[in-house]
Amino acid sequence: MRYRYDGSFEGFLCALAMCLEAGQGEGEFLRPDDDGQGGLFSGAACDVATDMETALRFRERFVAQVSRKAFATLRYAFHSEAAGVENLLRRFVAAGLEQGERLQRMLAVEPIASVYRLSRKVAHEAHRFTGFVRFREVSWPAGEGEEQGHASERPTVSFLYARIEPEAHILPFIASHFRERLHDRPWMIHDLRRSSLVLCDRGTWRLVRGVSLASLPGLTADEEVCSRLWRTYFQRLAIPERHNPRLQRSLVPLRFRAHLVEFDGTA
Amino acid sequence: MNDLPLEQRLEILADSAKYDVSCSSSGSNRRGAPGGIGGTSAAGVCHTWTADGRCISLLKILLTNTCIYDCAYCVNRRSNDIPRATFTPDEVVRLTIDFYCRNYIEGLFLSTGVIRSADYTMEQLIAVVRKLREEEHFNGYIHLKIVPGADSLLVAEAGRYADRVSINIELPTRRSLALLAPDKTREAVIAPMRQVSGLISSARAERTRSRKAPRFAPAGQSTQLIVGATPESDLEIITLSEGLYRRLDMKRVYYSAFVPGSDDRRLPALPVPPLLREHRLYQADWLLRFYGFAAHELLDEARANLDLRLDPKSDWAVRHLHLFPVEANSADYEVLLRVPGIGVRSARRILVARRHARIGEPELRRLGVVLKRARYFLTVGGRYLGGIRLDGAGLVARLLAPERRPARLDQLELFPAAGDASALTGEL
Repeated sequence: MRYRYDGSFEGFLCALAMCLEAGQGEGEFLRPDDDGQGGLFSGAACDVATDMETALRFRERFVAQVSRKAFATLRYAFHSEAAGVENLLRRFVAAGLEQGERLQRMLAVEPIASVYRLSRKVAHEAHRFTGFVRFREVSWPAGEGEEQGHASERPTVSFLYARIEPEAHILPFIASHFRERLHDRPWMIHDLRRSSLVLCDRGTWRLVRGVSLASLPGLTADEEVCSRLWRTYFQRLAIPERHNPRLQRSLVPLRFRAHLVEFDGTA
Repeated sequence: MNDLPLEQRLEILADSAKYDVSCSSSGSNRRGAPGGIGGTSAAGVCHTWTADGRCISLLKILLTNTCIYDCAYCVNRRSNDIPRATFTPDEVVRLTIDFYCRNYIEGLFLSTGVIRSADYTMEQLIAVVRKLREEEHFNGYIHLKIVPGADSLLVAEAGRYADRVSINIELPTRRSLALLAPDKTREAVIAPMRQVSGLISSARAERTRSRKAPRFAPAGQSTQLIVGATPESDLEIITLSEGLYRRLDMKRVYYSAFVPGSDDRRLPALPVPPLLREHRLYQADWLLRFYGFAAHELLDEARANLDLRLDPKSDWAVRHLHLFPVEANSADYEVLLRVPGIGVRSARRILVARRHARIGEPELRRLGVVLKRARYFLTVGGRYLGGIRLDGAGLVARLLAPERRPARLDQLELFPAAGDASALTGEL
């Protein structure tokens, strides 16, 4: 049987619940963008509606039978968006419902080991990005004014805007970290790879999918000053006698540098 | 000297601050408060790494690099002809908040040269952090330097605002201190450390009774030792660190390879900073704190220095081959931790996984245990993983053998394993 879900974690839980209920060993999960060209004999895909209630009920059931921690592992691993992760997780969940809390000790048994590995990878990347996100103070709307000389009379809002290109879908894991820290300041983190962003204003955040910005928001004057000071500071803090670019490269791999203010253009 | 533009003063004061190696933003967990900005997370967060591979987690800066002392090892010594600059408290506060909002940093690490007197200098530092905490409601991490010799009331006040405080010992022995830092005495350094240690433990005890009791440096205290400026052996250094960890409940001792920069005749003429020695000291330090080793197990009078070729744990294991191999399915946690190549994470995973089923070599691999070194010290289900049993010398040769990738001939590789880097960055 093939299940098409909306690509969200909640949607996946609903599809998973349906698949397990059907009691069939196998199941295939399709995201909306998959064209679903399975084999010659694969049947039509069943569209799964995303229902918060169903997802929550499923979560409760899994937490009760296995553990809260195992559910967190499942959630992290799902957001790796690795190819075939849905099937891996179906087996993980099936094993969990069968083994109960013993699942947590099956670290060295496939496919549990793979799920844990994926989950660790995503958690690690999320932690890394709590450090690597670089906010820039921008004013909006920008671009319309065009010529710098005549700024339009319309009021502009300034807020903090960051761009990232992480391997996994880590936005849901880092949003509350930044909400807590920046408080009443409005901010936005834009995942360019997934065209998703997290918006936060007055202490609540939400995830928006399928966003593309028509124009780049313009940096404020303060931002230019502040980022220059930061670059200066960053350059100065290295001790020339200890120069070790290889170590630096293993700690800040090149792929992260495009959006790091202090590496601007040196990547 | 305050007429210089902010950017230039930032350059000067960053230059003066960079030799302090403390970098961590860990040990304190505080949620943000309404109306304020920032919070801290227990594990700390590294934000970036400079061209020398050291992490930036805090805005590490001096309030001023003017100093009345003349310590031979220090760039900011009175007799050194360098540009001097000073920040106003407002400037430091502004920089911290601006950098923090943009997520460049986890907080502030404020240190300073000593001006007028220890008390006066300490008051200046406290003025900055008080402003940050009380006026800007800054909840991020603050690491504050304690000026040796400052009044105990000022020390007590500093810890109310700071997450972590530190007093640098810099030189391991009284003799070296007298030689290179004639203005400082050992007592002036140790006494405030003792006081801080007492205040930390009493504040902790108070807080178990009442949640409203004031905090005192919840992330503890740290210190720093300079390595290679004076003739102390690794044994003396590691023994000192062990004492600091055990008796003063120190959170971290940092080691800083001495960067020669002065032609003072009291200092050795080193061609390059002893980076590899520093790295080995950090590894030994980790063994003391997380692996249950004691200083006397790693070094003794007969071998007073760490082997630079081999990491201290492998070195210890090779000298204690009669204790190995150990069985992955039954060895205690403490025993597993002593196997070269097995760290805290691997050991914990092995413990969990073997409760479910017996472990073999493929299981170890699935757990993510790196067998490169560990295989020579392990059996699984009675089977030795290292192939032919080797004696000490043969094993050392095997452990030192380069992997397939040929060693580079032009430059000595100081940090061959990426995993070792955490020792340098202060993660964990």
